[in-house]
Amino acid sequence: MKPPKFEYHAPKTLEEAVAALGRYGGDAKVLAGGQSLMPLLNFRLARPAALIDLNRITSLAYIREQDGQVRFGAMTRQRTIEFSPVVAQRLPLLKEATRWVGHLPIRTRGTIGGSIAHADPSAEYPAVLAALEGEVVARGAKGDRVIRANDLFQTYLTTNLASDEILTEVRLPAMPAGAGYALEEFARRHGDFAIVGIAAVVVREGQRCTLARLATAGAGPVPVRLRAAEQILEAQGLGEAAIEAAARKATELVEPDADIHASADYRRHLTGVLTKRALVRAIGVARG
Amino acid sequence: MGVNLPRLVGARVVRREDPRLLTGQGSYVDDHRPARMLYAAFLRSPHAHAHIARIDTSAALALPGVAAVLLGEDIARAAKPVRAESKTPSVKTTSFPPLALGMVRHVGEAVAMVAAESRYLAEDAVERIVVDYEPLPVVRNTDEALDPASPVLHEEAGTNLLVAREFARGDVDTALAGAALVVRERFRFHRHTPVCMENRGCLADYATGTQTLTLRSSAQCPGLVRDILTDLLGMPEHQVRVVATDVGGGFGAKASLYPEEIATSVMARRLGRPVKWIGDRREDLLSTTHAWDETVEAELGVSRDGTIVGLRAQVTADIGAYSIYPWTAAIEPVQTISFLPGPYRMPTYRGRARGVATNKAPLGPYRGVGRPPAVFVIEGLMDRAARRLGIDPTEIRLRNFIRDEDFPYKSPSGIVWDKSSFTGSLVRAREALDYEATREAQARARTAGRWLGIGVASYVELTGIGSAIPVSPGMPVSTGTEAATIRFDPAGKVTAVFGVASHGQGLETTLAQIVADEVGVPIEDVRVLHGDTEVSPYGTGTYASRSLVLAGGAAILAGRAIREKMLLIAGHLLEADPADITVADGRYAVRGMPDRSVAVRQISRAAYSGVRQLPKGLEPGLEATKFYDPYYGTASNATHMAVVEVDRATCEVKTLRYVVVEDCGRMVNPLIVDGQVHGGVAQGIGAALLEEIVYDDHGQLLSGTLMDYVVPSACEIPPMEVHHLETPSPVTLGGFRGMGEGGTIGAPAAIANAIADALAPLGIEMAELPVSPERLFRLIGTRAEGKA
Amino acid sequence: MADIVTVRMTVNGVVHEGRCEPRKLLVDFIREDLGLTGTHVGCEHGICGACTIMFNGEAARSCIMLAVQADGAELVTVEGLMRDGKLHPLQEAFRDHHGLQCGFCTPGMLMTALDLLRTNPSPSEREIREGISAVLCRCTGYQGIVNAVRAAAPILASER
Repeated sequence: MKPPKFEYHAPKTLEEAVAALGRYGGDAKVLAGGQSLMPLLNFRLARPAALIDLNRITSLAYIREQDGQVRFGAMTRQRTIEFSPVVAQRLPLLKEATRWVGHLPIRTRGTIGGSIAHADPSAEYPAVLAALEGEVVARGAKGDRVIRANDLFQTYLTTNLASDEILTEVRLPAMPAGAGYALEEFARRHGDFAIVGIAAVVVREGQRCTLARLATAGAGPVPVRLRAAEQILEAQGLGEAAIEAAARKATELVEPDADIHASADYRRHLTGVLTKRALVRAIGVARG
Repeated sequence: MGVNLPRLVGARVVRREDPRLLTGQGSYVDDHRPARMLYAAFLRSPHAHAHIARIDTSAALALPGVAAVLLGEDIARAAKPVRAESKTPSVKTTSFPPLALGMVRHVGEAVAMVAAESRYLAEDAVERIVVDYEPLPVVRNTDEALDPASPVLHEEAGTNLLVAREFARGDVDTALAGAALVVRERFRFHRHTPVCMENRGCLADYATGTQTLTLRSSAQCPGLVRDILTDLLGMPEHQVRVVATDVGGGFGAKASLYPEEIATSVMARRLGRPVKWIGDRREDLLSTTHAWDETVEAELGVSRDGTIVGLRAQVTADIGAYSIYPWTAAIEPVQTISFLPGPYRMPTYRGRARGVATNKAPLGPYRGVGRPPAVFVIEGLMDRAARRLGIDPTEIRLRNFIRDEDFPYKSPSGIVWDKSSFTGSLVRAREALDYEATREAQARARTAGRWLGIGVASYVELTGIGSAIPVSPGMPVSTGTEAATIRFDPAGKVTAVFGVASHGQGLETTLAQIVADEVGVPIEDVRVLHGDTEVSPYGTGTYASRSLVLAGGAAILAGRAIREKMLLIAGHLLEADPADITVADGRYAVRGMPDRSVAVRQISRAAYSGVRQLPKGLEPGLEATKFYDPYYGTASNATHMAVVEVDRATCEVKTLRYVVVEDCGRMVNPLIVDGQVHGGVAQGIGAALLEEIVYDDHGQLLSGTLMDYVVPSACEIPPMEVHHLETPSPVTLGGFRGMGEGGTIGAPAAIANAIADALAPLGIEMAELPVSPERLFRLIGTRAEGKA
Repeated sequence: MADIVTVRMTVNGVVHEGRCEPRKLLVDFIREDLGLTGTHVGCEHGICGACTIMFNGEAARSCIMLAVQADGAELVTVEGLMRDGKLHPLQEAFRDHHGLQCGFCTPGMLMTALDLLRTNPSPSEREIREGISAVLCRCTGYQGIVNAVRAAAPILASER
């Protein structure tokens, strides 16, 4: 299982990278962490004419706080995120989600930009982006644009990035202080992609819920914001009945597919189970 | 003669293999790169069933760096057809061409072989080979295969029923008709695959100057491969050398002769250059032999108190597209019916086995061979009977075990069990688990709404078989013997050479322990060589839990011969009667007079210094080669107990505790025995909960990556509590019983029974493995927590 | 942009230079061009972990990296673990606790365990299992490996 031939570019600047990508008219692929793309190349399922390797562009790896957001350069390694004090304080949901991303050696190379641009709906980062209502910055020949989470993901492994665009930055609003959070995931084996995962954020005032956010992994072709379930909590509060109702609503909001690991029915069932578990845990952590 | 005090046999000796393996100095096939070596890659069929109309290799050959492309006809000209023969008339012989001849019968079957300057180039060339396939209807499962309207995969057989066999005792139909209770079930043990961490591979080098072929292979049976390969290639046996280098796991997957080994040898001979093929993981999942794919319809008849009156079973194995060589397609289903009766007194029995061909990869041996499904069935039936009769599952087994007074006990398939510890292992397992307390904890958990279960599985396995029991009747190579050559050098160091071939079980250590004890030297002074037909005395390899019994037995015989000679020489040097000499710690001393002694190296030097240093008439030299055939074989047994919890909402099964009480006779190295139990149980748990080979309706392999065929990681395996009984075998030298396969034999059944026990209040039985969360979700249905 | 690239990397303290196609996998470069065959190829899709090496001090899977990506990097492979001709304490622990059988996953397991212990010097049994779940083993059932890592942890922690 060796890769097919390709032309290889390792630009030192983002400008060079965008230019190189544009020259191939959609027949080149961007190489970030490689943890998803390289297996596809080794299986010869991906056969790009060229690889544009971003790993030499040091200016693309950073974590900054700005305008109430935490902004990540696309090439920030998952491992860096896992151990970042800024992330621990401002985005504890992201830190928890990171521990579910594969294994430490995968996180050594895997990047936040790569994970989101790859858009595997079973992955954890796209679900977190959706739950936190984040956005990404993409740069193409025509310049930069900002894309919101719910516009970004189109279907399996497909974003609305143009073929000459590179995802350069991921922006996540800092979580409110005292917010409760949880990522509940069900997988066959520790470190595998989620069969179903639920990312949850709740902000409470006593038993009242001033903010609820729920997003799925593995329950459809893109991460699904469970808005109707969120609204139940925001209306009815954080008691047992509201949690049950939200979990039940969650099962109605997803249209999962089947594969050899799980049927659509079972995924739908897991959506409900994990929504409830995520909410219970998130509420337990929430202060307010 | 002198006293032999066991010092090393029985001790937890750390392994001699470890320093090189820990430091990256192992010698696996892919680590070898002789000069001028070419790399091979195979074009594999994308169709499950098709005629090959045309193959065009011109574009591949035109690629720079490509040395040759071989097709089926090229192999057929250079090698005899591969036909696994059986003495059993109802086992049909069919051909297994190394490269497809006009027809492909499973996805992944090798169609063409490329040799090029790098694997990268070879794969580029494979992509340029154009094949015109004419797809044929796919035979997807055994029901279809037996339907007269379906295509017959092998014209010469005239049927897809390639194997039929029966074992019977007494009148089971009458016994079941009159039984107080008959429990019946249709069991399904789905397809699995061993997944060795090292993929298969081989390196063939034909030296034109000496007309010798050397095949390095990731193989369990170098002696077997050499014998068969020389026959197929029409070469003199003494000019073919097969070397099993360090091998990264076998588990039976590497016990057969594979198409790639034949094709690589032919390619190397043709080109006069070394050719190396290393399989990748995709090829491994597609074409390494699969395992255990059986449907078993079984009925157990018992009387009111749970005593067995009879067992009746029909085993149908999906043996895939080809009968593997040399074991034949019969190996899996026939072993199942041979051992279905288990460790129980079985007054009447009928076991019928069928092996049915389908358009899937061939079935082959995998740790346990036939017995993992067999034990799943019988242990599942015992639990059903116990539940229906209101008898504790351990109690029903105790009532039916073959007892001390019953040994030797002839089973319905003709296998004779010698004195084993069936009852002892179960009693000890109950103690180790604290069975009563665990049942009480289960009751409390049930009240609290948790689904906790305890599962038991007891089994007996035939091990260390000699020539009276062929692994496969009519096989061209005899599997009943192994040999040992033990040789001292003048400086007192020992080289011990064997025909077995370790692939993780530490034979360089355990055999050294036996040799060191026999000849009275420290273990550091013994070096074990094995797995190389150039130096090994005749033997076949390591499989079927035989190495310590057969090679260990031969080591004892050779060691004794050497020790006798050393005592004679020592007696001569010490001017004492050899009968008065004791052996300890590298010295041979007159009993009671420790100052009158000689070091081993003085004896060995004397042996090589000519006749004047030796007793009159004694030949110089200090080496011996002995062969050992235990003739029948012996048995190992164990009881496994698993405690599981089924998550009421997700239907996931977590294994909380796992207890094994096993008896492999006299243990040579408990460290290694523990390791074999751990590894086997882990594969068994994986088989029960996680792993499944899945084909779709077009015969395409859906479980084609390690994400889809899910082998357990450290998080899916619990810590295991392993206890040992040591009932020395009454029939083997050394009292060893052979072990290694027990984990996969017992664990699937123990886990299945534990889940059924957890779900007993819901009346749900486990009849299908693996029990994936999906499968369990469908069984539990609306009773799952959170189900709308 | 060229058909062949030159790569220069430090491996186990020694600088190496080689030339290869850009598509050449790092694990193949290590094994073939550098002749360091201790790092093994198990799956080529980043699941089994047998190919794990240290890349600039952190464990990474070399089967899903390109050799050209290691240009300028510092690698440690299993061959670089011994100290003055003696086994590294982790290697000793693997031997003492029977943490290997066929040895094929072992180099990857060692590098992964080392990375685990550097980031978590006193792991619980659960944390050890989670850490080594990055590498698949078919022989040991993991028990010997967990015991070995548990035994080595305090020795390595005391060295810092």
